[in-house]
Amino acid sequence: MIGNDIVDLRQAALDSNWKRKGFLEKLFTVEEQFLIASYTENPELMVWLLWTMKESAYKINSSITKLRAFAPVKLVCNNLIILEHSATGNVYTEGTSYCTATEFNSDYIHTTAAEQLHELQLARIEISALYDGYHQKSPQSVSHHGRYLALAYS
Amino acid sequence: MNEFEIIARLKPIVANYVADKALPDQITEETDFIKDLKINSANLVDIVLDVEEEFDIEIDNGSMEKMLTVGAAIAIIQEKSAQK
Repeated sequence: MIGNDIVDLRQAALDSNWKRKGFLEKLFTVEEQFLIASYTENPELMVWLLWTMKESAYKINSSITKLRAFAPVKLVCNNLIILEHSATGNVYTEGTSYCTATEFNSDYIHTTAAEQLHELQLARIEISALYDGYHQKSPQSVSHHGRYLALAYS
Repeated sequence: MNEFEIIARLKPIVANYVADKALPDQITEETDFIKDLKINSANLVDIVLDVEEEFDIEIDNGSMEKMLTVGAAIAIIQEKSAQK
């Protein structure tokens, strides 16, 4: 199974003040907060990179367990490797590990999570403006934020 | 504090994070922040922080985990206020 999440960076800047007192502490582990603080060239990018990793993994996990919870600190990002416009990593939660692949540019950050590495390699992603009727294309995971719609097919 | 009082104080907080400004007026205990109010999950943490400030309480991660509906928020606010 795969899950995906997109953050429109312009929308995120309008909607969220990640520097707000308590914000990072409630969303991120101490190690993740350290990653954000030490990524001095663009801490905001790190905030949303880690966030899309957690959200995409949560989508798989909640659809398997059928449980909903707002427990971002229990989704732990790890093994993060960041390249110029992409990143890979893992998200661990309650004994399960998901692998993630992220693509980013100055407009958006998009992460796909999968239970197995080969699922991640086979996943097909379509990123576009929001349009009606995309459900007919039966994507396995859908994410919409700000200007963007991201569909993930396994 | 009864639930009606709490809902009255929650409405202006919730209104900051919904696109459709008519929605907060209709909230009940059953209202789901994400499914019904279409609140972005990253903004759910802002609601938690605003609730902490408004009611002068601290919401630990274990409580935050359950805070997906207005009813759950009310229960947490009542529980934490009673502990003060």
